Amino acid sequence: MAIRNKEKAGAEALYDMYSSSLYGIIFRVVQHEEMAEDLLQDTFLRIWNSFESYDSSKGRLFTWMVNIARNIAIDKTRSKDFRNSAKTEDIENNALTLNKQSDNSLNPEAIGLRELVAKLKPEQKMILDMVYFRGFTHAEVSEELDIPLGTVKTRLRKAIISLRKVFN
Amino acid sequence: MKDLKSYLERGILEQYVLGDLSSEEQFELEKYALLYPEIKTELLQIELALITYAKMNAISPPEKLRNKILNGLEFKDKKVQKLFDRSSKWLQFYKYSLAASLVLLFMSIISVINLNKKLNDSYEQIAILETGIQRFSNQVNSFDQELTDARNALYFYQNQADFKLVTLRGSEKAPEASLLVAFNPKEEEVMIDLSSLKMPSNDKEHQYQLWAMVDGKPVDLGVFDSEVDSTGMKKMKSVKNVQAFAVTLELRGGSANPNMDQMMAIGSI
Repeated sequence: MAIRNKEKAGAEALYDMYSSSLYGIIFRVVQHEEMAEDLLQDTFLRIWNSFESYDSSKGRLFTWMVNIARNIAIDKTRSKDFRNSAKTEDIENNALTLNKQSDNSLNPEAIGLRELVAKLKPEQKMILDMVYFRGFTHAEVSEELDIPLGTVKTRLRKAIISLRKVFN
Repeated sequence: MKDLKSYLERGILEQYVLGDLSSEEQFELEKYALLYPEIKTELLQIELALITYAKMNAISPPEKLRNKILNGLEFKDKKVQKLFDRSSKWLQFYKYSLAASLVLLFMSIISVINLNKKLNDSYEQIAILETGIQRFSNQVNSFDQELTDARNALYFYQNQADFKLVTLRGSEKAPEASLLVAFNPKEEEVMIDLSSLKMPSNDKEHQYQLWAMVDGKPVDLGVFDSEVDSTGMKKMKSVKNVQAFAVTLELRGGSANPNMDQMMAIGSI
């Protein structure tokens, strides 16, 4: 209610609950700290200003917000200035920073779960990350990895099923 | 749907949750989700899986970002916003009220001044009218008195046989004075003839008083002035068994006993 009424308390609660998950996703997509910070701000702005359009019957609030964050971040990666700056950035380097930050994450839930992620088969995790964090469509993954579309779908599904086992 | 299981396994639900479906496909799936609770359950499971994955990949953003982002949002906090709205509305209201009040005040002052002027005019008119009324009233009283005196005179002439006439002569104090008194013993009436009245002028503090001498004692018959407009006869108090009449000068209104020093006229029957 506090969010629907656009009260400050609602925004604070929203930020405290979801900022690290959303920042994690944005960071993984753009692989750039400053850019991720700006995009997190954009994300919260859009969440806040279009909250009326969230329909709870169509899914969870988290999913809705994650999709906003992913779309904003993925749009950025497809923009011209991103491709320009990406040339000068060493993505592998950023990935290392990322892992380090992830280790230092204050999110207590994440700590026990990491081992379980490790159980994801590499080919499943790769496809999941491509879709989830890099905004590849299934068709694009199929093309990029040169594997049939059906296989992409199967592997993605299996990856998600593995994740489901984590919390079941 | 016969092939619900294969539909679930086709990976469409995952695409839906990931936002990787066209709006047509989305719409179709939402329709199925309403029809088949299994689809809804499956969607929830996929959502939860991806939520878990997102949480596993969570990274805390820098502390400074929290305030920056929160301050960039627009809030409609009741307390602040509504108070502001209300106060500005009230401010508007007060502005207009103040202007209206000033106009009213100005108009009121003008009408008060006008009314005051009219009121003063009215007072003047009233004073003039009152003076007029007083004058008329005095005149009416005077006419009334004159009429009464004239009636008395008429009465006297009509019943002359019943009256004894007594002429009072002036004393040493007023040798020129004279007064005609008509006395009707039957009716015990006493009148003085104003037309032939001759007495020294009396001032405002004094009046002449007529006395009847009854068995050697003075009896008050009333007061009169030397100068009167009327030319009729003035009716005095009634008396019987009179032997003589006398006039003294007394304080205005008359006295209980005559002031013998101021005996002005006297006459016996």
